[in-house]
Amino acid sequence: MNTAAYYFVNGMESEASAIARGLRRRDPDLLDRLIEQYQHRLFRYLVYLTGNRDLAEDLFQETWIRVLERGHQYDGKHEFSTWLYAVARNLTIDFLRKKRPVSLDAMTEDEDHAPPEPIDSAPMAWEVVEQHEQAELISAALISIPAEYRDAVVLRFQEGLTLEEIATVTRSPLGTVKSRLYRGLTLLVARFKGGSHDTRRA
Amino acid sequence: MTRDVHDQARELIALQHGFSVAENKWLQAHLDECPSCCEFAEAADRVVRSLRSLPIAADSRLVRATQMRVRFHAARLRETRERMWLVGMACLGVGISASLSVPLLWRLFAWMGQQAGVSSAVWQVGFACLWIVPALVAGATLLVRGTHVTNHGKGQCEL
Repeated sequence: MNTAAYYFVNGMESEASAIARGLRRRDPDLLDRLIEQYQHRLFRYLVYLTGNRDLAEDLFQETWIRVLERGHQYDGKHEFSTWLYAVARNLTIDFLRKKRPVSLDAMTEDEDHAPPEPIDSAPMAWEVVEQHEQAELISAALISIPAEYRDAVVLRFQEGLTLEEIATVTRSPLGTVKSRLYRGLTLLVARFKGGSHDTRRA
Repeated sequence: MTRDVHDQARELIALQHGFSVAENKWLQAHLDECPSCCEFAEAADRVVRSLRSLPIAADSRLVRATQMRVRFHAARLRETRERMWLVGMACLGVGISASLSVPLLWRLFAWMGQQAGVSSAVWQVGFACLWIVPALVAGATLLVRGTHVTNHGKGQCEL
C-alpha cells in the first residue's frame, strides 16, 4: 500500500471510529454535524426509495432518531454512510409493513407516487428548461421501475456506493446486487429513451 | 454472436467499475463491433449522468427540525438513563439492607411472638406481611409512575 492510500484508509478508519465513539455517547453535537453532512444524500435516497417527498421527510427525521437510539450498534468498521442507508432502508420497510403488509416492490404499484419535483437552479433560461425536462424524465423513469432495482440504482449511481456496500445495505448477495443493477439500468435506459422521444415529438 | 454475449456486455456496462482489465478489453472490442450495445452504453452513460445531476435536496427547515428533535430525544434518553441508574442504585441499597436486616427482624418477630404467647404460624404470617407489603406498594407506585412518564413523553415528542 502506498503512503497516500495508507493515510487515506487510516484517516477513514479514525473518522469512522470517532463517529462510533460519539454515537455510543449519544453526543448531540456530533449528531448535529452528521445531520448537516448527510442531509442531502439521505433525503434524496429516501425520496427515491419511497417515491413520496412528505413520507421521505418523516422518515428522514425517524432515521436520525433511530441513529441516536441505536448508535451503539455502529461498529466503525464500515463507512458511516453505509450503516446510515441500512438504517433508513430498514425503517422504510418497517413503516410500509406497518401501513400495509407489502414488500419494497409494491411501492411502485402505488398510483399516488408522483415523481419528486426537482429543485430549480438559476443558470441560463434554455439550460433551466432542458435541465428541468431531463430531471423530470429521469425522476419519472426512476419511479416507474421496481423498488428493489431503484434502490440498487440510486445507491450505486447517485450515492456512489460500491457493490459490496450496496450488498451490506440491502443485506443481499453480491450476485443479486449485480443483477438488480443490470435490470434496473436496462429498464431506466429503455424508459428514459422512450420519454425523450415523447418529449421531442411533443 | 449469441444473445448471451450482448447480455454479458450490458451487464459489464451496468456495473461500470469493478471488472478486470481483460473484461474491459473484451468489452471495448465488443462495443467497437456492436452498434446496439454501443448505443446502450451511450444511453446508460446519459442516464447515469442525469441521475448524478438530479437536484433533490433536503430543505433547511427539515434539517433544523430534525436537529431539534434529535437533541430533545437525546435529553429524554439521558434523563431516562439517569433515572434507571437511580432506580438500580436504590434496588441495590434495598437488597443489601434487606439481607442484613432479615435475620434480625426474624429473631425480633420470634421474640415478640414468644412474649405475646401466639403460635409460631401467627408471627411468621406477620413477618411475611411486613416483608411483602412494602415491595407490593413500591412496585404498584413504580408501575403507575412509569405509565405516566411514557404517556407524557409521547405527547412532548410530537413536534
